[in-house]
Amino acid sequence: MLSKITVSPAPHIGQPLSTQRVMLDVLIGLAPAIAASMYFFRWYAATVIAVCVAGCLLGEWVCNLLRRRPSSLSDLSAVVTGVILALSLPPAVPLWVAAMGGVFAIVIVKMLFGGLGSNIFNPAMASRAFLTASFGVLMTTWTTPATLDAKMGQVAIANTSATTQATPLAWAKMALKGQAPSKEVSKLAIPSFWGQEGGCLGETSAAALLIGGLYLLVRRTITWHIPAAVLVSAGAVAAIGWLIKPDAYVSPALHLAGGGLMLCAFFIATDPVTAPLTKKGMLLFGAGVGILIMLIRLLGQYPEGVMYAVLIMNAFTPLIDRLCRLTPAGGRPNV
Amino acid sequence: MGILNRATFAGGIHPPENKEFTQSCPIEPMPLPAQLTVPLSQHLGAPCKPVVGKKEAVKAGQLIGSSDAFVSAPVHSPADGTVKDIALVPHPVIGRTLAVIIDVDRENANPKQPCCERFDENFNPRKWTIEQICTAVHRAGIVGMGGAGFPTRVKIEPNPSMPKEILVINGCECEPFITCDYRVMLEWTWQVLAGIRLAARAAEVGRVIIGIEDNKPDAIEVFRQAIASCPEGENIQIVAVKTKYPQGGERQLIKSVLKKTVPAGSIPPTIGVCVLNVATCAAIAEAVALGTPLTHRVISVTGRAIGRPGNYYVPIGISAKDTIEHCGGLTETAAKVVLGGPMMGFAIADMSTPLTKTSGALTFLTRKEVTEARFRRRQTPCIRCGRCLSACPENLNPTKIAHAVKAGRGDLAQRYYMTACTECGCCSYVCPANIEITGYIKTGKLQLARANKKV
Repeated sequence: MLSKITVSPAPHIGQPLSTQRVMLDVLIGLAPAIAASMYFFRWYAATVIAVCVAGCLLGEWVCNLLRRRPSSLSDLSAVVTGVILALSLPPAVPLWVAAMGGVFAIVIVKMLFGGLGSNIFNPAMASRAFLTASFGVLMTTWTTPATLDAKMGQVAIANTSATTQATPLAWAKMALKGQAPSKEVSKLAIPSFWGQEGGCLGETSAAALLIGGLYLLVRRTITWHIPAAVLVSAGAVAAIGWLIKPDAYVSPALHLAGGGLMLCAFFIATDPVTAPLTKKGMLLFGAGVGILIMLIRLLGQYPEGVMYAVLIMNAFTPLIDRLCRLTPAGGRPNV
Repeated sequence: MGILNRATFAGGIHPPENKEFTQSCPIEPMPLPAQLTVPLSQHLGAPCKPVVGKKEAVKAGQLIGSSDAFVSAPVHSPADGTVKDIALVPHPVIGRTLAVIIDVDRENANPKQPCCERFDENFNPRKWTIEQICTAVHRAGIVGMGGAGFPTRVKIEPNPSMPKEILVINGCECEPFITCDYRVMLEWTWQVLAGIRLAARAAEVGRVIIGIEDNKPDAIEVFRQAIASCPEGENIQIVAVKTKYPQGGERQLIKSVLKKTVPAGSIPPTIGVCVLNVATCAAIAEAVALGTPLTHRVISVTGRAIGRPGNYYVPIGISAKDTIEHCGGLTETAAKVVLGGPMMGFAIADMSTPLTKTSGALTFLTRKEVTEARFRRRQTPCIRCGRCLSACPENLNPTKIAHAVKAGRGDLAQRYYMTACTECGCCSYVCPANIEITGYIKTGKLQLARANKKV
């Protein structure tokens, strides 16, 4: 009767939760944004996402082979990286660039640092930084969503090309330089929220990202700390600029709905591996990301700052963790 | 008390309770087995030395092992019989221990019956002096029956350097599956109350708080009524605490009912609190009023993989094998035998392992429960999700401690306050990467203890 009795340390029961399930939840959370990107950019979106994911899986598979480790493809973390990278790329990006980005994200940013759980920087963002540095023009060519008339009417400045279009944040930058009226640009907030504006694949529809983000919160895959800190701090900085100089700075609503802020708040900054462990640390980290995004957007050269903001704060994560060390209940133990 | 301000602590988890297997089973005395293996170390502190020899005849309740050390408790024979041997036997916690093996004289010996009907509301704890109570508790070999097994005499006797103000009675039973304390509270109410009053008298405390989880409303009600008709009832208060694991951890219970935190790495007496488990109180009453030593206890034999689950009054020293046989045997699907509950209990492989004074349960888990939980799944790298930090009732950083131990860095583990860990298992329970965090921390503590011994 006692043929096969298992012995292991306590506890002998566990929550039915795995890394794979956590990653699957993130993918489910990303589904609305994927659907929106396919709606707005049609086959561009589908191919870019597929190629990025394939690049990531290939990188993971090859590295496992070289390191003689059991396959880690099934934990789905490579798929998540691929999807997030794809959603942060412009729709018309050449597929070889997308593929290269996927491989770079996994091989250089994740596996060379020791694989899942050991990377310092967010793989998708570091890879996007690599692509931006290497292929600047390709990475900033924005296709108009397929659902819209190519000739954008909202802002009275003619587009240089019929098939490409400046993003709302590029308009905001122009407004800053006095090349566009900021009041008119601010009106782009509403189409930006629903997704009828140019931009990266997954950045166009803030609404879809919000739905996915709420799913993650309900499933407790993420906690509210990082998204809240990012959105509140970014909104606050944008509001300060707008209140001081409404002629130059566009409304905070556009800043919240436009660009990659929503994607960042719910899916990129919340990457557990590269974010702090404690609640206090998460708030600090999120606030840093939000403020840096807005500083880059308002004062920097680039129209968008998500990528660099996340990478800079990733570098601060170990310091934040040290700063926010927990004290055990009842103070420091005497032993 | 409303839903929002229910007494509780920060952190913790909500595992499935699984109490339905045994919660409605009345306490049933178990017949004597052919052989009893009574370990000489069933508590924290110095192990006992045998005071009987091979082939010597022993009577039920006769002293068979004792120690002169201050922190220790004697052991007694649970039944009439002859000493067969004094040998090393498997022990669930400390590996191996010396034990007195007794061949039970089953023809003439009757199994001991519970004595709860000897106690009622007219019980008067003032019939005994403080010294008499403490001596009786010590002589009866009473130790904390909730799990840790600290000798009760040391806990309750007056200590001028750490005067006690409040006695907290632990009726939480937060571990899944286990119901032995619940049944003791329901069926032995007056005996438990008598023990509480004796302990309060010995410890010279003015206030007693009984903490019971709010998933046991009938136990709370029974105690409310009993206290209302008891002479010293006005000093005894019942607090319904939130059902959450590890509510029954003494540090957590003190936080819940008193809003006080015991200093990290320290014990409750430092803030004037003494915590006793309900089963221990029942044993105190029996020892003081009737002079009976602690030779039997109630355990829950429970889980999906045992034929006849129930709450049994068993002689201490009965083997897991004899208990299984009496309870209808293992089912086909049995995969794990746990001495204790599923969160903090010890998985045993050798079924000759005896039950001790601190064993509250034998939990039998099925193959399905074991695989579904964690064990068949591969351990994956830590993704730093922080779930273990949120679940830790001691506000520690379990993943950092586990990684430090894994890397052989005891010094680093100490910097993350490894010794403040109570080993409740919440971190391992919530970990999505299936890391045996609690297991690593336990290992780290053992290594630390060994290193300290060498110095």
